[in-house]
Amino acid sequence: MSILSRAIINISYALDDSQKYNDAKKFFYNLLENDNYRLKKYFDGFMITLIFLSVYILIRDVKHDINEFWINFNNIIISIIFLIEYLLRFWVSSSISKVVIHQNEHNLLLNREFSLKKLFIVVAKDKLKYILSIKAIIDLFAIIPFFHQLRLLRVLILFRVFKLFRYAKSFQTFVSVLATKKFEFITLLMFASIIIFVSSVLVYVMEANNPSSPINTLFDALYWSIVTISTVGYGDVTAVTTEGRAVALVVITSGIAVLAFSTSLVVSAFSEKLDEMKEMKSIDNVSKFKNFYLICGYEGVAGEVAKMLKKNDFQILVMDEDEKRIKQAVKDGFEALNFDPGEVDSYKKLNIDLSKHVKAVLALRQSDVENVYTTLTVRSMHQDVYILSLLMEEMHRNKLSIAGANEIIYAKDLVGMIAKEFVGQPVAFEVIHALRSEFSGVDMEEILVTGRILKYISSINQLENEKFRVVLLGIWKKESDEFIFNPKSDTVIELGDYLVVIGNSLFIREFKRALQKKIFR
Amino acid sequence: MKKLVEKKEAALIFGYNEYSLEIAKNISFKYKNIEVFSLEKNEDSSHFDLSDDWSELENKFDMDNSVAFCVLQDDATNIFLTLSLRATFKNLNIIAFCKNKEGANKLTLAGANKVIPLVQTTAAMISDMLRKPIVTKVMHGILYEKSDLKIAQIRVEKEASFIGKYPFEVNWGEDFGIIVLSIMQDDISSSFIYSSKAKHKAIKNGDILIVVGYDNDIIEFESLIGSRCEVNWGDWSR
Repeated sequence: MSILSRAIINISYALDDSQKYNDAKKFFYNLLENDNYRLKKYFDGFMITLIFLSVYILIRDVKHDINEFWINFNNIIISIIFLIEYLLRFWVSSSISKVVIHQNEHNLLLNREFSLKKLFIVVAKDKLKYILSIKAIIDLFAIIPFFHQLRLLRVLILFRVFKLFRYAKSFQTFVSVLATKKFEFITLLMFASIIIFVSSVLVYVMEANNPSSPINTLFDALYWSIVTISTVGYGDVTAVTTEGRAVALVVITSGIAVLAFSTSLVVSAFSEKLDEMKEMKSIDNVSKFKNFYLICGYEGVAGEVAKMLKKNDFQILVMDEDEKRIKQAVKDGFEALNFDPGEVDSYKKLNIDLSKHVKAVLALRQSDVENVYTTLTVRSMHQDVYILSLLMEEMHRNKLSIAGANEIIYAKDLVGMIAKEFVGQPVAFEVIHALRSEFSGVDMEEILVTGRILKYISSINQLENEKFRVVLLGIWKKESDEFIFNPKSDTVIELGDYLVVIGNSLFIREFKRALQKKIFR
Repeated sequence: MKKLVEKKEAALIFGYNEYSLEIAKNISFKYKNIEVFSLEKNEDSSHFDLSDDWSELENKFDMDNSVAFCVLQDDATNIFLTLSLRATFKNLNIIAFCKNKEGANKLTLAGANKVIPLVQTTAAMISDMLRKPIVTKVMHGILYEKSDLKIAQIRVEKEASFIGKYPFEVNWGEDFGIIVLSIMQDDISSSFIYSSKAKHKAIKNGDILIVVGYDNDIIEFESLIGSRCEVNWGDWSR
């Protein structure tokens, strides 16, 4: 093995092992290519600003004198930034070190000699694939004004505008949707090209020798042909001979066909992809959610829970394998995905960390089998996610519990308790019911004791809740996990405790605000 | 001479299903006479039909002091049953269960004293548990579990220090060890002491206070100012 080959292999292994190198490459990859990366939007915003600035300078320069600084800024600084971006994209597009390692290990296994030539071909293929991509070509043209000062070529700055497509996701979606009809578009293009070619030549032959005809060159004929087939018809160049007009009739008719065909192609491409696009949009929206409830299933109780939580400004995502129910959820104004909550793949598609972003998973299908399956699926992926599940038949309680549900709600139990309370303590029930209902204006709230509150208050007598006409029902002590009803005035308040208060909703809100800032009257 | 038979106070549960059995289990502490009725004939329950002939029931039970639970699976039949019961028994306490709010409105119109829409009630419980876990736990303890903390309804009958004062002016917690949630007065059916209505109404003799407190404190408070009184559901919002 040559010294050069040995050196390349050693460097490749060193780079592959280097945490710093890999972290840096990952960072730039995320910044340039990963739409879910937090900083990407700032980077994209910066690049878009540079593009607009560049075009503004170009327009301004046509009729005004521009400060030398801005000219240099446009030609040098912006171009250098674009050049750096181009090189970074070139770098992250593929990994040379991985190709080297792969080839080396492959050769070792088969007892073959390491070939620099072969390596060069594989690497060149990889990198050329990037260089020849439409996006990379646009990037390259955007840098070109840096290399020359010719006024005409400055127009190449306009290529920077095309770079906007790189940062506009919707355009990328548009292109990807149209790409599904590639074959039809190519056929259409070929048809149109043949018509244009034949009609241009024909009209040229018919008209070029006629002194009263404006079609004198092949370019005139081509121009006429394209203007006619596109149904634009400026009328500046028209056929004057009978033969020429006959050609025009054919071109006009073909033009209508081309236009109708291309319109229907675009429409059908979009209608076919509409559901997928909506799904992508929903996934995109969900990735912006910070803390949300994932409701699995959308029927009966699930729909009501979703509405109640939404009313309290919680973020909700509905997931159901049934298309009709998902449509209903969307109609009700929720983010909803037609995914099966019982499949790991559904959560992977979401591209979020369940334990970080989900407040609770609510398995609310009206089927114990489905709820157990959902609970098991979520639990198999994350141990810490809070799972609340509906139970339909008492005999399945154990299964749901073993599957890992943190809380189980059994409606029949609830009916029994309600009946008991009605016949036993109807007053209590009615008062609590009124307290819970949102129409009474009176609310019962729990206030978490935070470090900020503790800065000003250390015991009950410092609360001054009477001033806000808020009644302190009690305090939930985190340490001992017990509720102290009507606590004594010297009861100490600690971090993580909860104050349970009753009062007019408005007064409670004011009281909470005052606790945070200690604006006691 | 016709022999007078003493009629019994009873809980009548219409519908033979898991819900009715759960109800029967939970109210057995209060009613000695619990009878489950079914539209279909079977061995474990009494049979009934939806005709307006309730004479057998009337002869057997003191309907004015009984409670009826309408728990038929089909909402329409349940509404029909409620209408039929109300048409015959003006003072019977009817508690009806239905699937959702739509059925609940119809049951209220049919004359049920209390209607529980199952879907909404279950959903409200889940929503409360998620939004206010501590409050839900505390309330659950007071309502459903054997905790020392209770809610009671006490009528002001004796001369008390707070008569003539506004409810929010009294330090209930410190003076009596209880917390007053609501006050019922002659001219206002019921209102929380924190609402603006109660702000303008001083406490007077005959008012009913809804209080929360430990059992012992409530008994002490009761002996001090009056007596626990029976519930009139009609006074409360449905």
